[in-house]
Amino acid sequence: MNEYVVTVNGKKKAFKMLDSGKVVFQDRELEYSLLKVSDYSYLLKIGNKVYDMTTTALSSEKFGFLVDGHYFETTVRTKLQEKARELQNIRNMETHHDLIKSPMPGMILKIKKNVGERIEMGESVVILEAMKMENDLHAPSSGVIKEIFVKEGNSVEKDTILLTIS
Amino acid sequence: MIKKILIVNRGEIAVRIIKACRELSITSAALYSEADKDSLHVRLADEAYFIGPSASSESYLNIPKIVDLAKKIGASAIHPGYGFLSENADFIKAVEESGIIFIGPRSESVRLMGDKTEARKLMAGSEVPIVPGTTSPIDSIEEAKKTAREIGYPILLKASAGGGGKGMRKVASEDEFESSLSAAQNEALKAFGSSDVYIEKYIENPKHIEVQIIADHHGNYAHLFERDCSIQRRHQKVIEEAPSTFVDGELRQKLTSAAINAAKACGYYNAGTIEFLVDKNKNFYFLEMNTRLQVEHPVTELITGLDLVKEQIAIAEGKPLSFRQEDIYIHGHALECRIYAEDVDNNFVPSTGHIKLHRRPDGIGIRVDTGIDPFSNVSMFYDPLLTKVIAWGRNRPEAIERMKRALGEYKIAGVLTNIAACRWVLKQEEFKDGSFDINFVENVFMPLIPDKWKSEQAQDYEDAVSLLAVLLKARMSEPGPSGNKVPKSNNWTSKPYE
Repeated sequence: MNEYVVTVNGKKKAFKMLDSGKVVFQDRELEYSLLKVSDYSYLLKIGNKVYDMTTTALSSEKFGFLVDGHYFETTVRTKLQEKARELQNIRNMETHHDLIKSPMPGMILKIKKNVGERIEMGESVVILEAMKMENDLHAPSSGVIKEIFVKEGNSVEKDTILLTIS
Repeated sequence: MIKKILIVNRGEIAVRIIKACRELSITSAALYSEADKDSLHVRLADEAYFIGPSASSESYLNIPKIVDLAKKIGASAIHPGYGFLSENADFIKAVEESGIIFIGPRSESVRLMGDKTEARKLMAGSEVPIVPGTTSPIDSIEEAKKTAREIGYPILLKASAGGGGKGMRKVASEDEFESSLSAAQNEALKAFGSSDVYIEKYIENPKHIEVQIIADHHGNYAHLFERDCSIQRRHQKVIEEAPSTFVDGELRQKLTSAAINAAKACGYYNAGTIEFLVDKNKNFYFLEMNTRLQVEHPVTELITGLDLVKEQIAIAEGKPLSFRQEDIYIHGHALECRIYAEDVDNNFVPSTGHIKLHRRPDGIGIRVDTGIDPFSNVSMFYDPLLTKVIAWGRNRPEAIERMKRALGEYKIAGVLTNIAACRWVLKQEEFKDGSFDINFVENVFMPLIPDKWKSEQAQDYEDAVSLLAVLLKARMSEPGPSGNKVPKSNNWTSKPYE
């Protein structure tokens, strides 16, 4: 339980936690200290370098960080979870499907495709109106529209599943 | 004398106006909708009045209710800010008729400039260059095609009542003309209630350069130089600066005198902005006039030392301009980054939620105009602009470095923002050498989302955030100080935008 894998900007980084204040990273042992300023603000010292970081939790394994005007999204899993995930991914690729969720509350202005129609990855499928703006929602993968759960004019909450692609 | 001002707006601009009122010992009255009851502008104002439900149409756009309120509370003047009712000639007329002072131009000037074809006609007759095209709406397809051939493709079809890119279509050749025309007309009808569309030549890769003007009720007109607002996404400005690196002394002379001509042509008083498109050969064309205070007015304030809101109030009281044109010169360089609540990598969808942490940048040369603090709620009802970070330096490189520092200091949690994307723009060669045009975001930045633009980020920051992620994850599964597991409902497992 003391080994972790972090994915950031598409790169994987492995950490092994030692006794308090020490970590092995890229075959090097690093000393660190952590100060929690608030739930959303942390000071991390690695060696003599100080990092002042703002954090926004996304889920139990995904964190967003703002440091010196740079934004990072990280996925962190234990080594065991990461292994399980990789196996799962292989299985998912065999029975590929995907879904589009509303990223925020709003109103469905337009649905550009019908069930059974083919779409390409990145293609705009749904227009969601929120904060006076029309937002294009794009297909996360290529495939065929399997099911549509909403109608034009519907108001939706954040994370509502709008349609599935298979 | 103005004793009490009702501020018909919200967010950072309402806060900006409250600050000017305080310096002038004028009572500031805020109004607010249901969604804004705890907003910063409500807490900072001397008085605050509930106006209606969250939807803008029932609150910040409700003309009869707002005018009634102003009378009831004994407001001597109304400041409209920008957006909402600021350029609504009917509103301004209603205020004029109620005997309350409107801090802005007369309704007639706004009406003249609000109709794009009328404004083009007026400008063409007032020595203000306009984009080649028609000065009246299209009524015959054959005539229109002939005009399009004369100016040469590509052309733009634009809504007469328009703005914000709605009812606008680029037409590359005559084959597309008819289908594009009907699409533009439909869009214009839906967005503005009028299907009138006119033709303009499509200017290739221009810069968006605008001139701030200011005039009093005594016929004194002055300009406060130009701003370059070419860093924009879908006609929404993101980074603005003054002066423009592209404008030399000769072009500045031409632009500013054209701007003053434009203001005189519509009998303008108070603060206003004339927007121009400037092509690679420094030809410039009138785009439109904004008959109100602009979002980006602080960059002009920093290079001239003037307080535009205080000037606006003095003008509305009937006082002459507080300065002469020859007293004003460009001092240093200023930049503004608009910080929006948006998810850049998710196609810029607005990000809503409660602000959990807000630490503003400060220090030499930095100004922050914000409408939020740690108790604010960013709702889906209004514009996602949270804050404007403005940096001043003796020269442009110094201003850019200060802005980078300030963006690095800005701590904000609870919503996602475009801070990192702004910082990215400041580092690009096209930005540094001034060669960017209005298509920069579309052509250079957009192909890099999602995530590709982050690849050049500092390696050691990546390592540091990764380690912090591990520590936070480890903390979640470890026993807490009391020996109990940290409960699942702690902040680390909650969603960011609730």
